[in-house]
Amino acid sequence: MGVTILLSYPVPENKTGPQTVDLLIKRIGALGAVQSGQFLVDCETFSSGPTMGGPPRTVHVLHNSEQPAAVFALLESPGPPPKTVPLVADGLFDLLMLKMSSIYASKKQTRMEARGTRFEIADFLVKIGTVTMSSNFKGVLVEVEYRPCFIAGNCWELMREFMQSFLGSVVQNTPPPYFQVHNRLNDVYQPLDTIQQYLDHFASYRKVAGL
Amino acid sequence: MNVELDALNEALKAVSSLRSCVGNFFLSLSQGVRSEHGEDHRETKYILELQDLVAEISSNMRKVEQTCSSIPLPPDGQINLGNTAHLAHETTQDRQALYSELVGSYKWTDKLHEISNITFGFLAQNVMKRSYNSYLNSSGMNAKRRRLTPSCHNVPISSVETVITAIDRQYQDMNMNVYRPHPSNCHNLQIQVSLGRILRAVISFRGMMIEWVKVKAYNEEFQTDNGQLGQLDLWTNSRHHVFRKITENANAAMLHFYSPTLPDLAVRSFMTWLHSFRSLFTDTCRRCGNHLLCAMPPTWRDFRTLEAFHEDCKP
Ligand SMILES: [Zn+2]
Repeated sequence: MGVTILLSYPVPENKTGPQTVDLLIKRIGALGAVQSGQFLVDCETFSSGPTMGGPPRTVHVLHNSEQPAAVFALLESPGPPPKTVPLVADGLFDLLMLKMSSIYASKKQTRMEARGTRFEIADFLVKIGTVTMSSNFKGVLVEVEYRPCFIAGNCWELMREFMQSFLGSVVQNTPPPYFQVHNRLNDVYQPLDTIQQYLDHFASYRKVAGL
Repeated sequence: MNVELDALNEALKAVSSLRSCVGNFFLSLSQGVRSEHGEDHRETKYILELQDLVAEISSNMRKVEQTCSSIPLPPDGQINLGNTAHLAHETTQDRQALYSELVGSYKWTDKLHEISNITFGFLAQNVMKRSYNSYLNSSGMNAKRRRLTPSCHNVPISSVETVITAIDRQYQDMNMNVYRPHPSNCHNLQIQVSLGRILRAVISFRGMMIEWVKVKAYNEEFQTDNGQLGQLDLWTNSRHHVFRKITENANAAMLHFYSPTLPDLAVRSFMTWLHSFRSLFTDTCRRCGNHLLCAMPPTWRDFRTLEAFHEDCKP
């Protein structure tokens, strides 16, 4: 897959979430983008109970409609140093998590979802969607993928120009923190990078909600 | 005759705008009061909208009448349709549709004629012939005596490989693998080029002559699925618009650099040109200074200066 950048689009004070999404859809349509289906990324978080011993551990399980056969699991290891252990498995992993419910319990109230519409314009794939946490509206996310390029450092300037053309000053002039923190600017982009970016955004929405 | 046609065209335009505003009127009528009319005085707003539409209809109606009166009537009181007029007298049901089809095919042949004329003129200016002879003939020399057989397709494979190895060594970020799809054929050679982590290309040679170029993304495969060793897929297009465009331009470049007398220089020039795409996603257009135009990066490289241009910005 090509380099993907995920941005949170702030909802203006006098507007609702759906109105903001409509506005962005109108702008991307004006650039000549064509609608091509829907998308969904969901995230469920599990934490270990006392039976495991030691400090509680957290596992995030994510699905992305772009990779329908895969399940992404990210285990937060408390460390030291703290790090995240990623795992990509097939659909059976969901059943495995159910079987382990005595060890890892799902925090149902923090289940997050980003869903919305896909658009295509030349080699760009744009997804505009709303984020909900247990069906409460949390914000608007915009995902932009440039499919022919696999090195973020090579196409950041080009993608920035494209994103600023319909998102305006919301787009910073430097690559998003994800690429800098994890030093991913010169590596081949992987589906897991997209998942990590979603998880980062979901985590910040949760933080705002105080969970 | 022309004045007549213009008037007729005007009248037809007027009729179609009349039809469209009548259509709008009925559309609005069938939808009734809508959410755009807001909460207060919605009925009044709706009625005002309908009145506007009716006013528009009557102004269009007036226009139709005006333009109709300005059409000069042919002297015999009839517009001459030639032989096709007889088609209207056809009584058999299934032949009555013939007239519109006839008009359609007439327009089509007319357009075909026009386009082929343009194409002919264009091709006459740009000589794309790969044979050396035509140049000699056109310069008025005795063709029979001076004919040189172009031989670059006849170069033994080993010397082609030498040239390719030399080019491969010249560029650090461009790797080349040589394949021989038909070991019994001593003139056919394919090379797969990887340019940085940007693109891959397959180039098919006949002797020292480039026959075919295909460009794809860095992660798109050229190896065929049927597992035949040394067989590259020359035909499948890239999934991405940008590499399909570059394939087109690469084929133009291959023809541009072709030289029957200095075949290895042609190959070198082509490779230098292809190497300039290492900065495909970072280059800005020389003319407009932007990365993107119509959501596409600059896919054109000048043959001489290698400067980057968008498809629509190229000189
Ligand atoms: Zn340009």
